[in-house]
Amino acid sequence: MKCESCNKKHATVHLTEIVGSVKKERHLCEECAQNINAQLTKIPSPTEILTSLINQVAPEINEMSKVACPVCGISYLDFRSHGRLGCPMDYTIFRKGLIPLLEKMHGSTQHVGKVPSKAGKELIKKNELMQLRNELNKAVEKEDYERAADLRDKIYELSGDNSNED
Amino acid sequence: MNFQATIAMKISDLTDNTGEWLRGTGPESDIVISSRIRLARNVARYPFLSRANAKQKKEIEGLIRERIRESEITQDLFYINLADVSPVDRLFLVERHLISKEHAGGEGIRGVAFGKSETTSLMVNEEDHLRIQVIRSGFELRETWKTIDEIDNKLEKKINYAYSSRFGYLTSCPTNVGTGMRASVMLHLPALGMTHHIEKVFNAVVKLGLVVRGLYGEGTQVAGDLYQISNQFTLGKSESEIIEIIEGVIPRITSYERMARKALISENREQLEDRVWRSYGMLKVARTISSDEIMHLLSQVRMGVNLGIITDIEMKTLNELFILTLPGHLQKLEGRELTSAQRNIIRATYVRKRLEKIDSLQ
Ligand SMILES: [Zn+2]
Ligand SMILES: [Zn+2]
Repeated sequence: MKCESCNKKHATVHLTEIVGSVKKERHLCEECAQNINAQLTKIPSPTEILTSLINQVAPEINEMSKVACPVCGISYLDFRSHGRLGCPMDYTIFRKGLIPLLEKMHGSTQHVGKVPSKAGKELIKKNELMQLRNELNKAVEKEDYERAADLRDKIYELSGDNSNED
Repeated sequence: MNFQATIAMKISDLTDNTGEWLRGTGPESDIVISSRIRLARNVARYPFLSRANAKQKKEIEGLIRERIRESEITQDLFYINLADVSPVDRLFLVERHLISKEHAGGEGIRGVAFGKSETTSLMVNEEDHLRIQVIRSGFELRETWKTIDEIDNKLEKKINYAYSSRFGYLTSCPTNVGTGMRASVMLHLPALGMTHHIEKVFNAVVKLGLVVRGLYGEGTQVAGDLYQISNQFTLGKSESEIIEIIEGVIPRITSYERMARKALISENREQLEDRVWRSYGMLKVARTISSDEIMHLLSQVRMGVNLGIITDIEMKTLNELFILTLPGHLQKLEGRELTSAQRNIIRATYVRKRLEKIDSLQ
């Protein structure tokens, strides 16, 4: 049997494709089968994703276009074209431009994960509280009130007061 | 600690064996080859590498290297200065998953520390000042997290990381900010590829905010039906929550792959067996094999072993062959640079010998 794609080589790969309820047989040579697989699995790289995201949050460009970091010298426009920041301070300097970008990228702009021990106990507590509040919201959404009450007690305990701050 | 070990000797030592993560053990290891986590960290009060001058890069490298040494992360950790290493050796380290492609191709002072088991590696002056990586065999993201978290704890006692309470660990690229964590699982999905159901997996995975990549990360081609699934977001979810999301989706993919395999068998067992045996036969007799072809053949045989069609070859041997037949490894094996045509011959010879050894043991 000849390969149905190139019609030259001997078909050694026999694929069964199921589209909806229709079954289709395909007979291909190794080479064509691999090409098909490669096409199916073309995946954008994170850098490509980043560039497209940066372009999507264009509106703030006018406001940010003159901003440059006094520490490392990078301008917001440099960042936009290369996708890399120059120093930790840039997260503060370019905050306005970064926040919509982070929101699009991560669906959030607030860290809730690990805290380095050097960053202090206060911060650790703050993050733990934040995470507990997230969990509380989830529990309430799921109408798991037992868990919600549990979490509420933990939050009170950790924050040391009963005020309903948000 | 062998921090000053001669580099050439150390890299040659590696050619005789492979990392522990290729053992083919651990949960779901018929389909899940490995679990990997990496953390991106930067030193406070220094620019990120794209803006650092040579002097700053040297300072950062020296500082992190010293702190790694003091932290006694694993017993046999040793450090390689990548600027001192030949391109073939760097390629070899990429194929081992000890450094990234970007780190191999980078410039300026930079290095990597890793232990004999090759479970842990610490890249210094990659895209971020420090990237810690832990890989384990099979589906073991929790264990992997435990290990890397401990290493990170040891280091943060000695290094002042760039960190903010709002944005977490500050990284050169905002796609990594927050946890700085990328957790990934490497899967072997030949039946989903064959039946063209792999796209459905991609769609489901992308909806969860996860991404699918090839064997060597960013933008690499998918070969040998090997896929890496990892988190895209790093901010707004804790490390545990991110791991939970991946942990939730993997069993669904593995059972989908098993279903696809069963379907292939029940539809036409002879045809599937024929494909597997032909691939095995090809590996045993071919005189020249390209890198693409071998990935494909190994993938078929690996599935054949999982399905009990082939019983005389160990999973570990197969997993290793995926790595040992890569261009950098073959060139290390031969001790010289090779053209692609030369590599194809040596690749075929190497595999034939490995499989003959198995035959003679029977
Ligand atoms: Zn063809
Ligand atoms: Zn800056």
